[in-house]
Amino acid sequence: MIYPILGVLLGLVLGHFLPVVPQDYMKLLSVALMASLDAAFGGLRAAKEGSYDPTIFISGFFVNGIFAVFLCYCGIRLSIDLYFVAVLAFGLRIFNNIAIIRRLYLKK
Amino acid sequence: MLHDKIPKILLFLVCVVLGVMISTQFRSTESANHSIAQQRAEDLSSRLKATEKENETLKEKVKSLEENTGADVKGEEITKLRADSGYTAMEGPGVIVTVDDSKVIHKPGDNPNLYIIHDDDLLRIINELRASGAEALSLNKERIIDVSEVRCAGPTVSVNNTRFSPPYEIKAIGNGKTMEGALKLRGGVVETLKMWGISVEVVQKDNISIPAFKGPRHYEYAKIKDGDAK
Repeated sequence: MIYPILGVLLGLVLGHFLPVVPQDYMKLLSVALMASLDAAFGGLRAAKEGSYDPTIFISGFFVNGIFAVFLCYCGIRLSIDLYFVAVLAFGLRIFNNIAIIRRLYLKK
Repeated sequence: MLHDKIPKILLFLVCVVLGVMISTQFRSTESANHSIAQQRAEDLSSRLKATEKENETLKEKVKSLEENTGADVKGEEITKLRADSGYTAMEGPGVIVTVDDSKVIHKPGDNPNLYIIHDDDLLRIINELRASGAEALSLNKERIIDVSEVRCAGPTVSVNNTRFSPPYEIKAIGNGKTMEGALKLRGGVVETLKMWGISVEVVQKDNISIPAFKGPRHYEYAKIKDGDAK
């Protein structure tokens, strides 16, 4: 449990020194962030359920993020607001996962 | 041993990426909030403050200068010059001309522009008043001086950069009888305007007060000729 927390903290510090993303790409970054958060909560849930597999977790993390960004980019190009769809879908999944994680904790 | 650590290290790296994304997103949002619209608003408000401050100091300067000069320069001459240039309010007998847009329902096919008061209608009235000896003129609340514009600005008319909408009230100090007669000449201004249903009302009054010109006058190109300055 200590590794992820340390990782996030280090990431926050590193991100502080990185350049700011231009306005045009902010939607893409936010979609990627939602995808990554979703993957992280999914991983946490899998760990609680005991079915955690690092390969699935890491591949899911990157593939989900990249694919979400790609879809959102296509959406911008075609003037379809896929951005909202991605954020909504990931948001729903995050809440779902949180609910399951909470239940798993309470059962214990 | 090492094989056991690999997933944890990977997890660590993934979380680093997540952290970077969160903080980048946060900072991008922060900087976006500071973007063009807000910067512009901040810029404008700071400029407004600066101008207001400048205005205040200039007003104080004017006040102190007025107090200083009033003592040693002939006050009477200054007052006369101020009156000549429209910087004093005036009162006296004259006429009030009220002009309003046409109430007539225009026939289909007619140009609706003809039923609306335009700057040239007002200018014709003002010109007629001047020709018949008006000594001081105002349109609504703005004094008309030599550099005053009377100009259409969309549906309004701008005078001294102040916009007015109908009805327009032109006040003129002078010989009321002459001025009213000049306006109501056969084939004159009032008759032409009435043809389009524009209502023009001319009232003679014994006491009309006309406001002073409030704006500043800048001379950017014109200079006082050498030798004419006292």
